[in-house]
Amino acid sequence: MSRRPLIGQRSWLRLPSARIALVILAVVIFLSVFGSALAPQNPLTINANALFQGPSAHHLLGTDYLGRDVLSRLMAGTRLSVLTAFEAVAIGLVLGAPLGVATVFLGKWFDFAVNRVSDALMTLPYIFFAVAVTAALGNGLVQAMSAVGILLAPGFFRVTRAATLEFASAQYVEAAELLGATKGHVIRVHVVRKVLPTIAVTTAMAAAGALLAVSFFTFLGIGVTPPAPTWGGVLSSDLDYLSQAPWAPFIPGALIAVTVGALNALADAFRDRIGPGALPLPDPVIKTHSTLTTSHPEAADVRQTAA
Amino acid sequence: MSGKPPPDEALHIQDLHITVHDGAAVAVRGITLTVGAGEIVGLVGESGSGKTLACRAALGVLPAGCAVSEGTISFGGQDVTDLSRRGWERLYGTAVGAVFQDPASYLNPNLTVGGQLAEVLRVKQRMARADAHRKTVELFAAVGLHDPERVFHQIPAELSGGMLQRVMIAIAISCDPRLLIADEATTALDVTIQAEIIELLKDLRDQRNLAVLFVSHDLALIRELCDRVVVFYAGEAVETGPVEEIIDRPRHPYTQALLRVASVGDFQRRELRVIPGQPPQMGEDVVGCRFAGRCPAAIDACRSGPIDLLRLGPGHQARCVRAGDPELEAAAEAELAAR
Amino acid sequence: MTAATTDPATTGPTQPPLLSLEGVDVVLGRGWRANHVLSEVDLKIWPGEIVGLVGETGSGKTTLARTVVGLIRPRKGRVTFHGAQISGLGRTARRRERRSGHVQLVFQDPLRSLDPDLTVAQIVGEGLKIRGGLDRAEIERRAASALAKVGLDPTLLHRTPGQISGGQRQRVSIARALAVDPELLFCDEPVSALDASNRNYILRLLGELRDNLGLPIVIISHDLSSLAGIADRVVVLYRGRIVEDGPVAQVFTAPRHPYTALLMASAPSVQHDRPLTVHQLRRTAADPAAPSAAGACVFAARCPFAVDACAVQPALEPVAEAGADRWSAACHRADEWQPLARERAAQAAR
Repeated sequence: MSRRPLIGQRSWLRLPSARIALVILAVVIFLSVFGSALAPQNPLTINANALFQGPSAHHLLGTDYLGRDVLSRLMAGTRLSVLTAFEAVAIGLVLGAPLGVATVFLGKWFDFAVNRVSDALMTLPYIFFAVAVTAALGNGLVQAMSAVGILLAPGFFRVTRAATLEFASAQYVEAAELLGATKGHVIRVHVVRKVLPTIAVTTAMAAAGALLAVSFFTFLGIGVTPPAPTWGGVLSSDLDYLSQAPWAPFIPGALIAVTVGALNALADAFRDRIGPGALPLPDPVIKTHSTLTTSHPEAADVRQTAA
Repeated sequence: MSGKPPPDEALHIQDLHITVHDGAAVAVRGITLTVGAGEIVGLVGESGSGKTLACRAALGVLPAGCAVSEGTISFGGQDVTDLSRRGWERLYGTAVGAVFQDPASYLNPNLTVGGQLAEVLRVKQRMARADAHRKTVELFAAVGLHDPERVFHQIPAELSGGMLQRVMIAIAISCDPRLLIADEATTALDVTIQAEIIELLKDLRDQRNLAVLFVSHDLALIRELCDRVVVFYAGEAVETGPVEEIIDRPRHPYTQALLRVASVGDFQRRELRVIPGQPPQMGEDVVGCRFAGRCPAAIDACRSGPIDLLRLGPGHQARCVRAGDPELEAAAEAELAAR
Repeated sequence: MTAATTDPATTGPTQPPLLSLEGVDVVLGRGWRANHVLSEVDLKIWPGEIVGLVGETGSGKTTLARTVVGLIRPRKGRVTFHGAQISGLGRTARRRERRSGHVQLVFQDPLRSLDPDLTVAQIVGEGLKIRGGLDRAEIERRAASALAKVGLDPTLLHRTPGQISGGQRQRVSIARALAVDPELLFCDEPVSALDASNRNYILRLLGELRDNLGLPIVIISHDLSSLAGIADRVVVLYRGRIVEDGPVAQVFTAPRHPYTALLMASAPSVQHDRPLTVHQLRRTAADPAAPSAAGACVFAARCPFAVDACAVQPALEPVAEAGADRWSAACHRADEWQPLARERAAQAAR
């Protein structure tokens, strides 16, 4: 039997916003892997003679308050910022999405319990929770972002659960049950591929939020061990020395904004093209004239019958 | 057309052509029909045959991309072919009313049905609230709803499909239009309710001299209700005439095929017939008769050029070169007798 | 109140029935919302017959089908298949019963009952895949064979429901049920959304399945005329009760229950005359008030022939008619109302 790709619709790639977003994100991801190696200078090298320099041939984006090359710091800082943001998203996804599917199929007490836990988590403000976790587990960005990840999980959970509910009550699921299907079969064959688009949209939005959270934490100094460069950290120190270098904060600020914007654009593209509501068949609940069909015995039919 | 039309003519469509896909294809060609006051005219054909598009044109609600490319539509002499939105709004309810297939989807589920009809009266006829309430109850009674005062205060979810369709009919006739268009209005209803609605339409015709354009895919239903019928196939009218005559002596092979598959109604065990083949795609250009590909009686002349309507008797026309052919007639009669 | 069932020992073939519903009551909802959707339903289906199950919206016909396949649990009574009980099973037993493919249900709307993301091959072969024990190639081969049984070409195997026409979707839905070699098929309104030509095509197809495979089929419909061509037996449901159950030829010639006659009279036809018109079978204001207390005949409020005796719900009694086997009707006046109907005005007073 032929397998069709799971998120197989190519139409979202046609959106120019999605293409631009993909390019931006590809660059960011590339930098998070190779950024340190490709940085033109050592991001940690202090040069007291070259403080607050503007862009030049030697320092393409100028230097900071310690004479360090800004471009190199940002390139090297990509890894920490981006990877921890993705770590948070991954934690949220792995915790939230499978539970979202499971609660629909595992009975109402399980559903009730998980929902209450999710509700409780959603009441926690993420900054305080992150600070509390770093206080308990040690001051590291990884720990802080894990906290963010846990708080992202309810969002994944609710969205996945809503999408699953919609499909779990479909008549083709009932038809499968009549053939003796187990819940596992129903989930595997019918439900998973239909909730993936919803999960994709949520993932993109969560990534944008997580990246903002990372920037905010590093800006505040949570989980940061200087002198390791991070986007938020660069932004924070730039703001401290605004009078000496008023152009400086725009650079890391723009970097954050563009990346977050790209993630949001991707989420929008997913939502418009492959999210629920973009399904090819008409809404079966709405009765239209097309319920009357006059398809006749056609060429594809084996038997032709004569009136 | 010049000169005044007959005073009791509710709808006249002359040589209507409708294009779809922004003019790329012609979906309806050359439809001419008239509905007089107190007449019930049926449009019968498969879905895709163009009958619904023709109705929508007559209501000014063609879907996006569709347009009337040729021909005219007029209500009692007033040409509405190129009417503006404003113009149509003045006509809705007062010149023409319409009911469609799924009544529940045309009603606000959160408001009482009485309130929805009363609103129409207040807006279109500027009635005071109390008068509108009274008239609504009267209309509900006129369409056969039991205990209309109680029904006034019910929401759509509390009413059955048949009752909802009666409400829709009440709304459609509330401002005394001369013409009612019913597009597959009974298709979704149970057979007993369908029979009641058909009778209701006949009663309304008798009491109000209402002209009705009734669209259906079911020839048996058309026979029960209509005075005259226009048979649609692939966007054209292939046969028109008085319903009894068309049922007793169908002249176009497609009408004959429709009769073969229609419910005879005597519930005898008989062979179930089908119409083999497929109609041409919407807008497809076919040289000659558009039914020739599926017609058991097609000859070369059928495929050579456009086929005109052949006049077969008073008010009876068929778009078939062999319509008057005695051989074909004899074969058709023999077949009917054998059933 | 007990319903007398027709005794197969004295009438009809001596085979035991394939499917049997005995005293089935189905109630949906709870407390004051409780809706008695089916009451005291006794129904037997024998091999090789096509049974038309007819009733209006709300008559309980879809509920009956869903109860037979175990989607609904009856509050009273039981459903047996080959004598073994199949209603009220626990989850594992029910799943095993369904995998055995004894009874299959074809849903009404193929747009909703076919997964739009799967190919026809995956849809039709799903039952076999669930059953297990067959490799992919074999499943696809059997899916093609099921498609052939409904007159569809194997080229459809790799298309999705959105890429085929409505009539073909309906046939794919039937093929899916056939792929597991069921012994009994329930089809819920298989032709209600189709025009006359397609309707006849599908009905003919079902008739051929009965003729070629000996497959008994229950066709649920709200329209009698669709069944007239191929059904052997007709069962008429009204508000959750069987009011008539008998051989098609005889029931359609002289129905014993006024509701059956009303259904027949309501059906549009191209023929000119009818034995009885709807006006003769509908209650008018001139008729005496019908008994309406709880426990009265479900049809009394609509019946022009109701008398005091109709304050008690009639049981399904065998009809006394020469040459008619297994024909029963639930009406106190089953043999009396016909001349009264003929006397009534054939047209409504205007």
